[in-house]
Amino acid sequence: MNGGWTVHLMVAPILLPLVVGAALLFVNERRRRLKAAFGAASSVALLLVAAALLRFADLPAEAGEATTGVYLLGNWPAPFGIVLVVDRLSALMLLLTAVLALPAQVFALGRWHRAAPHFHSLFQFLLMGVNGAFLTGDLFNLFVFFEVMLAASYGLVLHGSGRRRVKAGMHYIVINLVASFFLLIGVALIYGVTGTLNMADLALRIPAVAPEDRMLLEAGAAILGIAFLTKAGMWPLNFWLPTAYAAAAAPVAAMFAILTKVGVYILLRLSLLLFGEGAGAFAGFGADWLTVGGMLTVVFGTLGVLAARSLGRLTGYCVLVSSGTVLAAIGLEDPAVAGGALFYLVSSTLALSALFLLVELLERDLEQPEDEPDQVFADVEEDLEDEEDEVGVPVPATLAVLGLAFVGCTLLLAGMPPLSGFLGKFVMLSAALNPNGLGGGGQVSWQGWLLVPLLIISGLATMIAMMRAGIRRLWAPPEPIVPRVLIREAVPVAVLLAVGVVLTVLADPVMRYMADAAAALHAPTSYVETVLGKERLPGPRSAPSP
Amino acid sequence: MTDDTLLISMVVLPFVGAIIAAFLPTMARNAESWLAGTVALAALGCAFLAYPAIAAGGALRAEIPWLASFGLTLAFRMDGFAWLFAMLVSGIGFLVVLYARYYMSPEDPVPRFFSFFLAFMGSMLGIVLSGNLIQLVIFWEMTSIFSFLLIGYWYHNASAREGARISLTVTATGGMALLGGVLLLGHIVGSYDLDEVLSSGNLIRNHPLYLPALILILLGAFTKSAQFPFHFWLPNAMAAPTPVSAYLHSATLVKAGVFLMARLWPVMAGTPEWFWLVGVAGLSSLLIAAYFAIFQQDLKGLLAYSTISHLGLITTLLSLSSPLGAVAAIFHMVNHATFKASLFMAAGIIDHETGTRDMRRLSGLFRFMPITATLAMVASAAMAGVPLLNGFLSKEMFFAEAIETHVPSILDTVTPYVAVIASLFSVTYSVRFIQAVFFGPPPVDLPRTPHEPPFWMRLPVSLLVLSCLVVGAIPGRTIEPFLRLGVTSVLGEATPEFSLAVWHGLNVPLVMSVIALVGGALLSFALKRYLATSRDGPPFFRRVKGQRIFDRLMALVANDGPRFLERYLSTRRLQPQLRLLVAAAILAAFLPLWRQGPGLGGLTFPPVFDPIFTLVWVVGTVCAVIAAYQAKFHRLAALALLGGAGLSVCISFVWLSAPDLALTQLLVEIVTTVLILLGLRWLPKRVEGAMPVPLSLTTRLQRLRDLILAVLAGLGMMLLSYAVMMRPAGQTIGAYFLERAYTEGGGTNVVNVILVDFRGFDTLGEITVLAIVALTVFALLRRFRPAPDSIPPPMQQQIQRKFDVAAPDRDDGATLTDYLYVASVIMQWLFPIVIVLALYLFLRGHDLPGGGFAAGIAMTSAFIMQYMAVGTRWLEDRLRVLPLVWMGFGLLLATATGLGSWLFGYPFLTSHSRYLEIPLIGEVPAATALLFDLGVFSLVLGATVLMLIAIAHQSIRRIGPARAANEAEET
Repeated sequence: MNGGWTVHLMVAPILLPLVVGAALLFVNERRRRLKAAFGAASSVALLLVAAALLRFADLPAEAGEATTGVYLLGNWPAPFGIVLVVDRLSALMLLLTAVLALPAQVFALGRWHRAAPHFHSLFQFLLMGVNGAFLTGDLFNLFVFFEVMLAASYGLVLHGSGRRRVKAGMHYIVINLVASFFLLIGVALIYGVTGTLNMADLALRIPAVAPEDRMLLEAGAAILGIAFLTKAGMWPLNFWLPTAYAAAAAPVAAMFAILTKVGVYILLRLSLLLFGEGAGAFAGFGADWLTVGGMLTVVFGTLGVLAARSLGRLTGYCVLVSSGTVLAAIGLEDPAVAGGALFYLVSSTLALSALFLLVELLERDLEQPEDEPDQVFADVEEDLEDEEDEVGVPVPATLAVLGLAFVGCTLLLAGMPPLSGFLGKFVMLSAALNPNGLGGGGQVSWQGWLLVPLLIISGLATMIAMMRAGIRRLWAPPEPIVPRVLIREAVPVAVLLAVGVVLTVLADPVMRYMADAAAALHAPTSYVETVLGKERLPGPRSAPSP
Repeated sequence: MTDDTLLISMVVLPFVGAIIAAFLPTMARNAESWLAGTVALAALGCAFLAYPAIAAGGALRAEIPWLASFGLTLAFRMDGFAWLFAMLVSGIGFLVVLYARYYMSPEDPVPRFFSFFLAFMGSMLGIVLSGNLIQLVIFWEMTSIFSFLLIGYWYHNASAREGARISLTVTATGGMALLGGVLLLGHIVGSYDLDEVLSSGNLIRNHPLYLPALILILLGAFTKSAQFPFHFWLPNAMAAPTPVSAYLHSATLVKAGVFLMARLWPVMAGTPEWFWLVGVAGLSSLLIAAYFAIFQQDLKGLLAYSTISHLGLITTLLSLSSPLGAVAAIFHMVNHATFKASLFMAAGIIDHETGTRDMRRLSGLFRFMPITATLAMVASAAMAGVPLLNGFLSKEMFFAEAIETHVPSILDTVTPYVAVIASLFSVTYSVRFIQAVFFGPPPVDLPRTPHEPPFWMRLPVSLLVLSCLVVGAIPGRTIEPFLRLGVTSVLGEATPEFSLAVWHGLNVPLVMSVIALVGGALLSFALKRYLATSRDGPPFFRRVKGQRIFDRLMALVANDGPRFLERYLSTRRLQPQLRLLVAAAILAAFLPLWRQGPGLGGLTFPPVFDPIFTLVWVVGTVCAVIAAYQAKFHRLAALALLGGAGLSVCISFVWLSAPDLALTQLLVEIVTTVLILLGLRWLPKRVEGAMPVPLSLTTRLQRLRDLILAVLAGLGMMLLSYAVMMRPAGQTIGAYFLERAYTEGGGTNVVNVILVDFRGFDTLGEITVLAIVALTVFALLRRFRPAPDSIPPPMQQQIQRKFDVAAPDRDDGATLTDYLYVASVIMQWLFPIVIVLALYLFLRGHDLPGGGFAAGIAMTSAFIMQYMAVGTRWLEDRLRVLPLVWMGFGLLLATATGLGSWLFGYPFLTSHSRYLEIPLIGEVPAATALLFDLGVFSLVLGATVLMLIAIAHQSIRRIGPARAANEAEET
C-alpha cells in the first residue's frame, strides 16, 4: 500500500459512495432498479476495498513496514493538512460497515426503496459519512464526517414518512443537532488550547499542556465526550434511540446499527490516543466515566429489553445493551478486555442489523393501523399504489426459516453458546477476571468484578425477553401468521447471520486480529509516529510567479 | 479409526444428522427414523470402539484448537465415567428413536422433531465428553436450547409453550450461573482445562472464592437436575412428546446436573459448605418430590416427581463426600436411567393406546395389554427398590451410606429417617402406578379402545426392563466392571473397595428396605380410595405451586419491575431529553473547573471595551434574548430579531478584519431568513393563552429550572469562548497556512485557500452535507400536509379577494396580481445583475473575499427574488430550474478535480496553480482549486434552490380530493 495506485484505496471508502450518490441524482426517480444496481455495486466495491485495507493493516509489522497506513490529502503533511489513517481498528470498522450495507440495500429492494425519493443517494452518503469517521485522523474532519453521517441519517430516519416515524425522527434530529453542536464546541476548545486538530499531533501536545490550561482542555474533551456518548447511546442520553430505531424503516434501522458504534469507535480511539498511559497528567481521563456510564447503560438497556412490548423497541434496547457493554469494557483500559469487546461489537452489530430486518418481516402482516386519518405526513402506501405489486406468496416454510433466524439473533445478542456473541463475552469476562492472562494471577479490578455479573445477567435477560417475544409471535397464534416474504428479503438476514457463524468458526484468527487491534490502541506511539512522520510527495507545487 | 476421529465424530455426527434431518420431506417418518437411529447407533459404535482403550485405564483425548489463545480449546476427553454416560446417551437415544417412530403421529412434522432430537443428543454427548469447562458450559446451554425446542414441539398447546418457556428460563439461568462459576474456577486454577482443574483440589477448596464458585456451579447443577427449589420446571416439561420425556427427563438432560456434580466431586466436595448446600437440596428433593409423586393423577406427572426424588437421592449421596457414596450415586444414575426411561415409554404406550394419562380414568388395562403391563410392573418394581432388580442394589447402598456418620450435624442425623420415609413413599407411588392402571374393573369411557402396541414400539421397553432384571440379578457379572471403570475415573486413588451383590446378609439397610416396602404398600392401600377421586397434587400443597411462585417472580423481575423502572428512568418526551443533554454538557464543562479551582487559564479582562463595538454587541444580545422570548408565539418577530443578532455577528467579523467571514455570514443570513419566512406560512398557528392562568406552582418551578439551566449554559459558553479567544495564540497550525497560502496554494485569500486547498476535504464533506440536507428537506416536504388552519389563503389575500369580488370593475385576483408590482419588476431586472455579482464573487475568491460558497448563495438569492417576484408557475414555465442536476454536477466536479491529481500520482485533492496566458486578457492566475470551487458553487446553488422549490411548491400543490371535501365541510 506504499506504492502504485493501491495507495489511493485508502480514500476510496469515502469517494466511492460520494461519487455514486452524486451520480444517482441524475437518474430519474422511476428507474429504481438502475439506482439500486449502482448502489449495490458500490457496496460490493466497498466490501472489496475494505477487505484489501484489512489485509494491509494486518500485515506483520516486523517486515519493517508499519501497519498503519497514512494518506495525506492534498499532499499536505500532518499536522497541517487532513490525514486519513488506516490501522487494524479502522479497517475492521470499514469492513463491518460494508458487510452491513449490502444486505440492507438488497433488503430495501423488496419495498422500502420505493417509499420516498433519493433513498439510494442518501444511503450512499450515509456510508460516506460513516467510512469517513472511521478513516479520518483529524478532529475537525471528524466533525465534518459526523455531519455527513448525521445529515444522511436524518434523511433516512424519515424515509417512508408516517406520523410515528416523523415524530421519532424529529426527536432524533433535534437531539443529534444539539450533540453535534457540542461536538463543534469541544473541537473548538481543544484547538484553542493545543493549536492543532490532528489527532496524532494532539497526542503529542496534550501531555505538554500547561497546568493553567488544563481546565479548558478537559472541559473541551468532556463536552466532546458528551457528543460522542449521545451518539453511542449512553444512559441518560439515549432515550431517543429505541423509539427512533424502532420507527425507522427496516433497512435504515439495520444500517443504523453501525451508527452507535461510530460513537463507540471514536471514544475508543480518542480516549486511548489522547488520554492513554502516555498522556501525563491527563492519563485515564474519563475512563471511569466510561465504565460507569457503560454499565448504567447496560442496566438500563436490559430493563428496556425486558419492558419492551414490541419487537422493534426490544431491538432498540438491544442496541443500547450492545454499546453499553463495549463502553464499559473500554473503560477497563485492559487490551485483552478491549479485544474481546471488539469481537463482541462486531458480532452484536451483525445480529442487531439482522434482527432489525427480521422484525420487519415478522411484523409486516400484523401491523395495526396506528396512523390517524388527519395525519400531517402521509404514509408510504400512498405512493405505492401505482407500483408493480411484488409481494411474496405465504409459504409455511417461511415461518420455519424466520424462526431459525430469530433463534440465531437471540443467541448472538444474548451471548448464548455456541455462537460468536458468547465467544466475545467469554473473552471479555475471562480477561477481566485474569488481568495478567489466564493463570497469570493479578488483582481483579472493581470494574472487572462488576462487569462479570452485569454481562451475564444482561445476556440472560435478553434471552428471556427474546424467547418470550418469539413464543408470542411464532408459537402462540392459533393459526400461524405467515408473512409474505421475498427471497431478496430473507437472504440478507441469512447472510448477516452466516457472517456471525463464520466469526464463530474462525474465532481464533479473528480474535487474534482484535487483540492486535486493541493492543495497538493501547500503545499509540507507533500510530503517532507513523502519522506525523509521513512525508509528502516532492511536489510540482511551483510557487507561482507574482 | 484414530481416537481423535472417534471422539470428534461421536459429537459431530449427531449434528450432521440434525442438519440432514431438517431437510428431509415433512412426511418422511421412516427415513427420519432410519437416519436418527443410524446416527445413534454410530455414536454407540464409537463408544464400543473406544472401550478397549478406556478399559486399559487411559482417557482418550482429542483437541480442536478453537480459541486456544484464550483458554478455550475444544477438548474431547473420554474416561470411564464419560464412557458410561456416552453409552447411556447413545444407547437409550437409539431406543427412543425406535420408540418415537411408532409414537409420533403421521401428521406430525417429524423433520423438526428428529432434527432437534439429534442436535440434543450431540449436545448431551458434548457435555459428557467435554475436557474443557467452558466447552462444557457451551454444550450445557445448547442442551437447554434444544430441550426448549423439543418441549415446545407441540407449540399449539398452551401447556407446551408454558413448559418450554419455564424450562428454558430456569435451566438457562442455571447455565449462566454455571458460566460464572466456571469463570471463577478458571480464575482460581488458571486454566479451564478439566484435567488441570481436577488436579487442583486443594487450591480450589482453600481459595477465598471457593464459596461463590461453588454456589454458582451448584445453581447450574440444581436447576438442570431439577433439585428443590428449582424442581418445578420438570413436571411442566411433561407437555413434551413422550419420547422426549423418556429421553430428556429420565436418562439424559436431568442427569447432566448430577453428572457435573460427580465430575467436580473430587475437587469441590469434602467441605462443610458442600455438605450443607448439596445435602439440603438433595434430601429435600428426595422427600418432597416422593411425597408429591403419590398424589399425581397424571402418569407422566407421577414419573416426573419420581425423577426429581431419585435425582435427590443421587444428590444426597454426592453430598456425603464419602467415596462409597459417590459409587452409589454413579450406580444409581445408571439404574435410574434404565428403569425410568422404560416407565416413561410404558406411560407413553398407555397414553397412545387409550388416549388418556389420567389415572382416575385408567383401570384394569392388564387384560388389554398384558405384556406391556408386565414390563411396566417390573420397571416400577425396580423404581420401588424390590430385590433382584437394579433399583434395589443402589438403594441398599444408599441406606448403608445414610446410616454412616459423615459430618456430625442434624442433617446427618435425619438422613436415615428421611431415606426410609422417602423410599416408603416411592414404594407407594410405584404400587399406585401399577395398581391404578392395570388392575381393577375394566375402564369405561376411554377415548380409544386399548390394545397392545406394535412389537417394535414395545421392544425398547422390553430391552430396558431386561437390563433392569439382569443387572439386578447378577450385578457382579454385568454392570460391575463398567461401574468400576467409571468410578475409578472419577475417584482415582480414592476408589473404595465395593462389591455389588444381591445379598449382603441381614443388616440394617435390609431392615430399612423391608420397612419401606411394607410401609409403602400399606400406605398405598390406605390412600387408594382417596386417590381414586382426588384432585391433582398433594393435599394442602397443591395450592403452593412452585410454578405459580415462579410466574409471580418472573412477572416482577422480568416484566412489571423493568417496565416500572424503565418508565421511571427514561422519558419519551423531547424536552426532558434536551434538558438532560444540556445539563450533562454543563456538568462536563464545570467538573474540570471545579476540580482545578477557578481560573479559566489565567483569563483577564481588558480595562476598557470599545464603546461602539460594545454597542453592536449589546444590540445583538438584546435581539437574541427577545428572539428567544418571542419564539413560541411570535415567530415572525423572533425571526426578524434573529436576523438582527446575525447582523451584529456579521459586523463583528468586519470589525475584527475578517471580511470573508462577514460576507459569507451576511449572504447566509439573508438566504436562510428568507427561506424560513417562506416556510412560516405553513406552520400551524400558535395561540397564546392556552395555558391556565395563573400557572401552577410546579409549572413555574419547572420554568425557573429551565431558565437557570439556559442562563448557566449561556454564561458558561460565553466564558469558555472568551477564554479560548482571548488567550495568547500559541504555536498553532494557523501559522503554516499563512506562510504557504500564496507560495504553495496560489492564492492570497488565506481563508479561501484553506477552504479549497489546505482543508478542501472538509469543504467536500460540508457541501455533501448541504446536498443531503436539501434532499432531506425535499423528501420531507413532498409529503407535507399543512395543518388545517394554514390551508386557506392568508387573511390579507382574502381581504383583497373580497375587494375584487365586491368591486364590479375588477377581476377576481387582480389585486393580488398587481401587488407590489413595481418592486417585482425591479426584482426581475435585478436577475442578471445579481448573476454578475455572483460571478464576480466567484472569480475573485482565491485572492480576495468571495469564493464558490458565497457566490453560490448570492446566485440563489437571484432565484429567490425571481420566485418571489413572478411566482412559481410563471418562472418554471420560462426557466429550466434543475437543482438536482446542479447538485450532482457540483459534487462530481469537486470530486473529479480532486481525483485529477491521481493522474499525476499525487494524493486526492492535491492542487496545482500557475499563471495562464489568455489572449486579450493577459496573464491570469489559475489554480485547480478554481474548478473545485466551481463545484462548490454549483452545489450550493442547487441545494438552496432545491429547498426553495420544496417550499415554493407547497402553495401550488393540489390538495387531495377527500381532504378538500373535508376542509369545505368544516368551513
